[in-house]
This record gives sequence, structure tokens and C-alpha cells, in this order.
Amino acid sequence: MAYKKLLIISQRRAFKKLVVNNRGRLYRMAFAWTSDPQLADDLVQQTLLKALSNQKQLRDFAAAEGWLFRILANCLTDYRRAKREFLSGDNLELVDKATPEKWLKEEELVQKVRQAVQKLPINHRQVVTLVDLEEFSYASVAQILDIPVGTVMSRLCRGRRALREELIEVKAHEQLTPVVNIKRIK
Amino acid sequence: MKKDENISEEQLNAFIDGELESEEISGVFDEAEESAELDHRLCRQRKLKELVKHAYRDVPEPSRRSPVGRMPASTLGMALVASVLLFLGAAAGMFLNHSLYQNSLPSGYETVSTGQPVIATENYILHVSSGDPEQMQRALKMAKALLSSAEEGAPRRVEVVANEKGLDLLRSDITKFKDEINYLASNRVVFYACSKSIQRLEERGIAVRLVPEAISGYTALDRVVLRMQDGWEYIKI
Repeated sequence: MAYKKLLIISQRRAFKKLVVNNRGRLYRMAFAWTSDPQLADDLVQQTLLKALSNQKQLRDFAAAEGWLFRILANCLTDYRRAKREFLSGDNLELVDKATPEKWLKEEELVQKVRQAVQKLPINHRQVVTLVDLEEFSYASVAQILDIPVGTVMSRLCRGRRALREELIEVKAHEQLTPVVNIKRIK
Repeated sequence: MKKDENISEEQLNAFIDGELESEEISGVFDEAEESAELDHRLCRQRKLKELVKHAYRDVPEPSRRSPVGRMPASTLGMALVASVLLFLGAAAGMFLNHSLYQNSLPSGYETVSTGQPVIATENYILHVSSGDPEQMQRALKMAKALLSSAEEGAPRRVEVVANEKGLDLLRSDITKFKDEINYLASNRVVFYACSKSIQRLEERGIAVRLVPEAISGYTALDRVVLRMQDGWEYIKI
């Protein structure tokens, strides 16, 4: 009896640790989806509080990380519904607008990529960032976003194609230096 | 047909994302050996993936007033003591089959996470995010019940944290529970108003006036996490 309770307590502690430890990762993802630090922080707060209060819904502890990201995706969906915002590149102020004229090369590159990601439709953006930033498998992304794996693949394909056109092919066409000189990246 | 045309864009993505079986991976490598174009496509796709990763490698989180993870020295000491108690409690429990929880919660409520069971059951943080007056009343009744069910000589600490629409509980011009809040505060229940929720309202031009018993300065999440790190029980109303 006592042993069982200790086990439950131990699982709860592990769960709490998991939630707290994933805060940074969730924030990075929320920021990649919204480009808005305050909104991203709000979404993460909602996500973690929901996770803490609904942990009984989590059947498989091994799937907890994906579950957290799924809550985050749901929080964003709720936000968009409430605000009727679509978070597309058309109605968001791009970060670059507020930057000084002369960015360091490194910062300029980061901002360009973030702008390009922000221009993607939100459903493409979510798939690309879950795969690229968190290295989630296609099956996990399908679970997080509640879509079929085939849709994950097609959205990823379209998202990356758009990014490629924006970041690589345009540069090549303009005969500029390549977007990234690998030697200059750590 | 050119060699690289056998490989679709989806396959290329699956290749760089590690989604292919080893046999398929070998197939892509074989074809890339013979096709400079395919090799180029692969490099380009991988470069794109690295670019995205690189762009979000350092995303600084907004500063918070209460850094998560900080544990005061006194708490650390308590944690050590509690660890010993945990071990002793577990051993005793095996033999005596004695419940670790002396105070059961009313039905309909659930607790989440504890630090050290022997000590942790003494303190609770209640979270209200709903603007429904019934929910607010439940929170206050719950706080009162927790206070009165504490064992003699072992005073229990209870905090109520309100955010989102639940913030109305602590807004002096809106709340219907001033008397209850005052009574509970005089019995050492602490009321926290989420700083982020206040900020959100103020950004919308809404002046937020809190009841005098309410404290602000933390976000709801930071307060909850801080208390959970101290071993408190978290109850979502």
C-alpha cells in the first residue's frame, strides 16, 4: 500500500520535473510559431499549467514530451480562434523591421531565416519547426498536431520548398554569396 | 529519366530526417553516387534544415521575476531532512500499512505533484483561472477546508493563485468575495494575482485594482512551480 503510494509520488515528481525542464524547449517552439516573445511566454504558461492539472490524461509517461507539445499546439489553436488571427506572414510585423541598419552577419542570417519561417502558413511552420528544431519523428508530429503522417510529409515538403526558394534559390539567382558559408558556422 | 528523378522530394526529406529504413537509405546513397544533381539536392536540403535549427538555437526567454530552479538554502535543508523522513516513512509504511496522507481532499479535487510526501501534504497552492463565481467560491471553500483540516500544532500553509479570468477573484472592483478573502487572509492564506494577467489587462487599457490582501509580482506559473519545488501540493480548481 505505502509502496504503491510512494511509486505514485515518485512518478508525479518525475512528471513535474519533466514539465519544468521542458519550459525552454516549449518556449523556443512557441516563439518559432508566433515570433512574439510575450505571446510565446503566455502560451507556454498555459501549456504547463494545463499539463500540471491534466497529468492524469497522460497514459504513457514515455510519450510525455510529445504530449506537452500537443498541448502547446492546442493552446495556439485556441488563441487563434479567440483572436481570429492566422499568424501568417501577412499580418505579423517581421522582427527585421525593428533592427538596426547594420546587423552583424550572424544576426542578419538568423533574422532572415526567422522571417522566412514566419512567412510560411502556420500549419507548414509548425511541421517544419517540430521536425527541424525538436527532431520529432513524422509519427510524433502527426500525433502532436493530430493530423495523418502523409499530411505531415506534404506540409513539410511544401514548407521546405518555400524556405528553399526564399533562402537559397533566390540568393543563388541574385549571384550573392551563399546564404551560409559552412566554414563560418561553429 | 535522370537518376535523381527517381527520388521524390518527400523521400529526400525523409532521408535527411532519419525516417527511412536502412535499405532505403542505401538506395539514396547509391543514387547520389551516380547523380551530381541528386547529391546537390541532398546538400541543399540538409543545409536548409541546419539553417532553421541555427536560427532558433538561441532564443532567450523573457526575464522573469522569480527564476525557476532556485531553491533557498532553508528549503534545501528541509529537502534533506525530508529525504530522510521519506525513507523512514517508506520503511514504516511497509510494516504498518499506514497511509501517508493524513488529510484526504474533498471529492472532485485532485492534487498534482509533491516534493516530499511526509512534509508536502501540509501545504497547498490552489489555482483559479476561471471567471465563474462558483469556481471562485469552490477555491475559497477549499482553502478554508484545508486550513481547518490541518493537524493541531502543524499549521498548514495555503496559497491561492489567480490568473486569466480567475483574476477577477482578486480585483477589488469586481470580486464578490471581499469578506471571504479578508477572512482567509487573516488566517494566513496568501492570495497571488498573476503579474502576466494583470499586464495583459493593462495593455488593453484596463486599470487593475486588487483587493488589499492580494500580492502580485509573479506569474501564476512561476508561483506554482516555485511552490511545487518546495514540495507543496498543487490543486487546479
